[in-house]
Amino acid sequence: MRLRKIISWEFKAALSSKQFIIMTIMIPAIIAIAIVAISLTKGSSGQPSGPPPPPFLIGLVFSMILFLGAFMTGIMAMYAIIKEKQSRVVELMLSSVSPWDLMAGKILGLGMAGFLQVLAWAATAYFAVNQFGSFPLSSLTLVHWVSYPLYFVLGYLLIASMFATVGAAIKDIHSGGAVGLIGFLPYLPMVAIAAVVENPNVTWLRVAQYFPPFTPSIMLMRIGAVPLVSEGREFVPAWEIALSLCTLALGAFLMMRFASKVFHIGMLMYGKSASFRELWRWGRQRVA
Amino acid sequence: MQGHSSLNVIDISKSFDTVCAVSQVSFEAQPGEILGLLGPNGAGKTTAIRMIMGIMRPDSGGITFSFADSNPTKFRERVGYLPEERGLYGEAKVHDLLVYFGELKGLKRAEARHRATKWIDRMDLTDWANKKVDKLSKGMQQKIQFVAAILHRPDLVILDEPFSGLDPVHQDLIKSFIAELRNEGMTVLLSSHQMNRVEELCDRIFLIHRGRRVLYGDLGEIKESFGDHIVHIRFQGDGSVLSSLPGVREFEQSDGRANFVLDQAHSPNAFIRNLPKEMAIHALHVDRPPLHDIFVKTIEGRNHEAA
Repeated sequence: MRLRKIISWEFKAALSSKQFIIMTIMIPAIIAIAIVAISLTKGSSGQPSGPPPPPFLIGLVFSMILFLGAFMTGIMAMYAIIKEKQSRVVELMLSSVSPWDLMAGKILGLGMAGFLQVLAWAATAYFAVNQFGSFPLSSLTLVHWVSYPLYFVLGYLLIASMFATVGAAIKDIHSGGAVGLIGFLPYLPMVAIAAVVENPNVTWLRVAQYFPPFTPSIMLMRIGAVPLVSEGREFVPAWEIALSLCTLALGAFLMMRFASKVFHIGMLMYGKSASFRELWRWGRQRVA
Repeated sequence: MQGHSSLNVIDISKSFDTVCAVSQVSFEAQPGEILGLLGPNGAGKTTAIRMIMGIMRPDSGGITFSFADSNPTKFRERVGYLPEERGLYGEAKVHDLLVYFGELKGLKRAEARHRATKWIDRMDLTDWANKKVDKLSKGMQQKIQFVAAILHRPDLVILDEPFSGLDPVHQDLIKSFIAELRNEGMTVLLSSHQMNRVEELCDRIFLIHRGRRVLYGDLGEIKESFGDHIVHIRFQGDGSVLSSLPGVREFEQSDGRANFVLDQAHSPNAFIRNLPKEMAIHALHVDRPPLHDIFVKTIEGRNHEAA
């Protein structure tokens, strides 16, 4: 009930904020300019040509969009929380709602706004790809349609919660320091993209995919790449998808809980940035 | 009285690392009374308030409320809080923000809207209802925060420095609202450094120093127990004779005015009878010492003991 109020308040606040509007419009605008520039250099023949991009590309495009969206919204959540602490409106809020409601409300409310943003980007990307070839929607299987949105939503929640934890722990945006690096963890597997294309079923990937921060990027790439390598002979086993979604969901939930704990304790210690060790202690501490 | 008190604080203590912020503090507050929570900076007032608000957990001791059992949601609905550290959502519009806070406290939307409009009117901010909070002056934001604390008609309201940053006119306005809330049966916990305001409003006070109770009780009785009287005189003639009258201490005079303390062993009646007949008195004011003096003396006395 209260959670719903906070979600809708934060959602509206995000939609009416200038940074959000600029970000939402800027990315499609850059893509549009790029398309115009490319078609100008290619001459007037705007004919769709070339082979359709493989599903792997879709996985890659999807994870790019996911990360960009989650990164932007995560940073917005982090800013919102730092601002809330600096403006000291927290004490008033915490006299009305629980830290969990406040934190979850912010993450989910901003997340809904972020989802709209990503939809706008995805639509732009779809039209952009169609400019140069047809977007291979038909090559997407049921597995893609079901699993990608789930990885997307859960991945977003995890990433946003990580940023929110950082926002709850630090005093201002300049004291992010080492703690701020946590936010980059989910992007790490993308470094190994060449390895994934070469052998998507290599053991270390199949282990690392259950580590929640790595799950979205590894699974999006693997699900895209496996049929590419094995000529559709073999997909990522359904149980691996199901299990990784479960661990991701659990990870996202725990991260959100951790964020609200750190938030609750951190707000009582204005003017202090947290060390990793303190974060760990705060997260486990029992509060009223 | 124990059974009727709406707020019962029993023996709470809280330490941070090695510093003891609050030590074995107990008090209670009844519906329809204003309890002043006083103390110098860093005495432990805010820590005590945060423990009552459930933002912090006491190391030992307990806090009970007659209007809400241990259910935190129910408690949050029945309590209002004006924190010392002020802050609002600057991007939001004044009316929307108050409706949001009201709804978070469990009010229905229509009711929250109705009350927000009414209070914006009462606070003389009607023209600002649809402006962004950021556009308001500090004093105006302060009034909005006050409304946010009481919009839902809580059973207990905690006001931490409600007068700071307000001009005298608006201090009077807020003062009249606080008195009104008390008369409606609300329990008010008021923390302030403005002793004259505390004196005007509070029924009882709790003075805390270095985390411990120093004074606690009925404001009038506390003043009585201090015994001394403060005397202000305006007169014509030689005033130095006043300083030699029995019981006169801390004598100060300057052109036709004198201020001094009349010791508790000497009644004002006897003092007036002893006034020299040839002195022409224009004004004479005898009163118990103001809360300000009691506060300063008590704290200084304690600091002396500790040193």
